Amino acid sequence: MKAWRLLREDGVSAGHGLAVDETLASRVVQGAPPTLRLYTYRPHSALIGRFQDAANEVHLAYCAAHGLEVNRRPTGGGAILMGPDQLGVALTVPGRGTELRPRALMERFSDGLVRALSSVGIVATFRGKNDLEVGGRKIAGLGVYRDPSGGLLFHASLLIDLDVALMAQVLKTPFGTITDAEIATVSSRTTTMRALSGRDLDVDDVRNRVSEGFARSFDVALEPGELDADEGAAITALRHAKYDTESWVHQTTDVPDTNGSATVATDNGQLDIHVALAGRTIKAVHLRGDFFETESAVADLEGRLRWHAARTDGIRATVSRWAEATPECSLDADALTRAIIAAAEAASAAEAERDPYGCFVTPEANHG
Amino acid sequence: MSSDRTFEVPHDRHYDREHHLWASCDADSGRIRVGIDAIGLESLGELAYVSLQETNTQVVRGGAMGTLEAAKMTTTIAAPVTGTIVARNDEILSQPTLVNSDPYGGGWLVEIEPAMWEADADELVSGDDLDEWVTAEVARMDAEDHAS
Repeated sequence: MKAWRLLREDGVSAGHGLAVDETLASRVVQGAPPTLRLYTYRPHSALIGRFQDAANEVHLAYCAAHGLEVNRRPTGGGAILMGPDQLGVALTVPGRGTELRPRALMERFSDGLVRALSSVGIVATFRGKNDLEVGGRKIAGLGVYRDPSGGLLFHASLLIDLDVALMAQVLKTPFGTITDAEIATVSSRTTTMRALSGRDLDVDDVRNRVSEGFARSFDVALEPGELDADEGAAITALRHAKYDTESWVHQTTDVPDTNGSATVATDNGQLDIHVALAGRTIKAVHLRGDFFETESAVADLEGRLRWHAARTDGIRATVSRWAEATPECSLDADALTRAIIAAAEAASAAEAERDPYGCFVTPEANHG
Repeated sequence: MSSDRTFEVPHDRHYDREHHLWASCDADSGRIRVGIDAIGLESLGELAYVSLQETNTQVVRGGAMGTLEAAKMTTTIAAPVTGTIVARNDEILSQPTLVNSDPYGGGWLVEIEPAMWEADADELVSGDDLDEWVTAEVARMDAEDHAS
């Protein structure tokens, strides 16, 4: 049986946490051992996706006032809040010879987490681009990054617990204002190990379960280890050159972030749609209205449209497939499709007007 | 079982087997125009973001010349040839989906002044070897889908 290294750390800074993962990915092809690192961040850090604009995703003033760190992951996806109750998972393995395509890679890597969750009776499934979900509610965010040397980094944030109210203070939502209703909406789209298991799981217990899950999934022995001095020096250098720099954390792209909304009347009541675009890609869709008898179905549709091309035909096809898969949902698929397309077009119009915060959302970002 | 997948893979250029980038040598200037091939784009999905090294940056075959985030993955873009970036397609930085819609035309990424084109070209697949390579890649994708 092959042996991989197991690293455990707690309370790491954002810059250190990310620099370790990238360093290990860059060295695994050259002979460093494949490593599973299970760690937590100091309370708290806001980590944005590789190409996100920190000012658009994070309430920077709140973070500065409350001592929260902000940093940028090498992996893609959305912004996350990390602290003592969110387990960071970083698996680094050689990529060459790994013939799987991205989606299959993600599924392969997430199997260790699926097994860990199963050990406490939670049945999770991989869905969309980078979510592990339970009943349509996100319990882990996933990402894969391929280093230039060919090393693969699988990143995950596993929600043992989550302070949704704090998350709403730190991460921007399309809703603009933070109310109990918005917090309830975010809560309905996420779930945690403690909530689902009904047990007061501590991080070491979860860490052991995740370690065992990966060992079984990959048929390897995970041997506790430490970073060596050479790795330590490389990590420090990478922190100073990259993760602790303003130019990395606050870099921007040429792809504009825009938001749009639409409201339609349906037989079930009023339906509000919010769409956040990155260029012509849907970053997020949020549905609200008077119809929420099927929260999981709504969360399912939002998940299907996350990181989806903002093309009319594609949106129509995806909503149609969703409607077929969720016959219990009474929402009118045609009305829903029209509203989503209208919201996406409103976001595109905001881009054309060079008003990235057109319509109604996050007006405070104009001052960020 | 044979696959229904078909990919446009023009025979007028070279391809990086591992990273699915194409490299086309301009006969007049000797520059190498680089883009992502259709098979690579099938795996990546719609591109959301692309970053590219600045012009005058030296790159090494297999080394990073940029980064992209697509619907299915974030990855570095590995240079298929060694040389110096002498032009980059800034249009795709603000409209990454142009790469998906026109991969062999307006969706090109960079132009490289090659340092050792003949040697690099030997490492790439081209000409009569292309059909066999594409067939093998399609078979691999089919097998993967069948397994999942």
